[in-house]
Amino acid sequence: MPIIVNLDVMMAKRKISAGELAERIDITPANLSILKNNKAKAVRFSTLEAICRELDCQPGDILEFVKDDEQ
Amino acid sequence: MNIKWTHERSLMLSRVLTWAMFLLACAVLFLIPIITEWYDAVSGKPPVRVVLTVCLYISDVFAILAIWELNLLLRNISKQELFTEKNTRCVRIISWCCFGVAAVCCVLAFWRLLAAMIAVVAAFVGLILRVVKNMLAAATEMREENDYTI
Repeated sequence: MPIIVNLDVMMAKRKISAGELAERIDITPANLSILKNNKAKAVRFSTLEAICRELDCQPGDILEFVKDDEQ
Repeated sequence: MNIKWTHERSLMLSRVLTWAMFLLACAVLFLIPIITEWYDAVSGKPPVRVVLTVCLYISDVFAILAIWELNLLLRNISKQELFTEKNTRCVRIISWCCFGVAAVCCVLAFWRLLAAMIAVVAAFVGLILRVVKNMLAAATEMREENDYTI
């Protein structure tokens, strides 16, 4: 998929675990795992807003576009 | 006595009727020779026992398969599994069983024209189920999209 979710990198920078982040942004650990492993098909703006607020970052820090031929 | 009609009771009725139909279809397997013998005796037309027997056996197998898939579908519905690949497959198989019966009736129509009408009805039901399958497949895709929206 062309959109890559680099959540692991930002979580490591902010030293926050998956369980803690899931609780703070009010999603299940399973859903956070789906997001981290690039299995999600869509992300709500409200979820993206919560992630950026908790990790103190921009959407571009978490989401990356990679062209199909580069993958 | 006021019986409240609920979704669960409706589902239970569907399952009971499906099982009754399944038992009937299985019983018919053993009764086909008697049915064809009786038909030849009362029809007053040239005998078609062999062709009729073969066609009825094949149609009954399709019917048993379709009813079995229907039972699987109802079981999944009772488990709240509605828009799944398994259910789409069930409906697809039932529609192909209908087309199978239509094909068999087309062959029988060479001997008994009435079978052509049954073929048309069976093909029509198969077509309706095919469209239902397409709709179910689209709904399954939408549900999956929704499930993977975080």
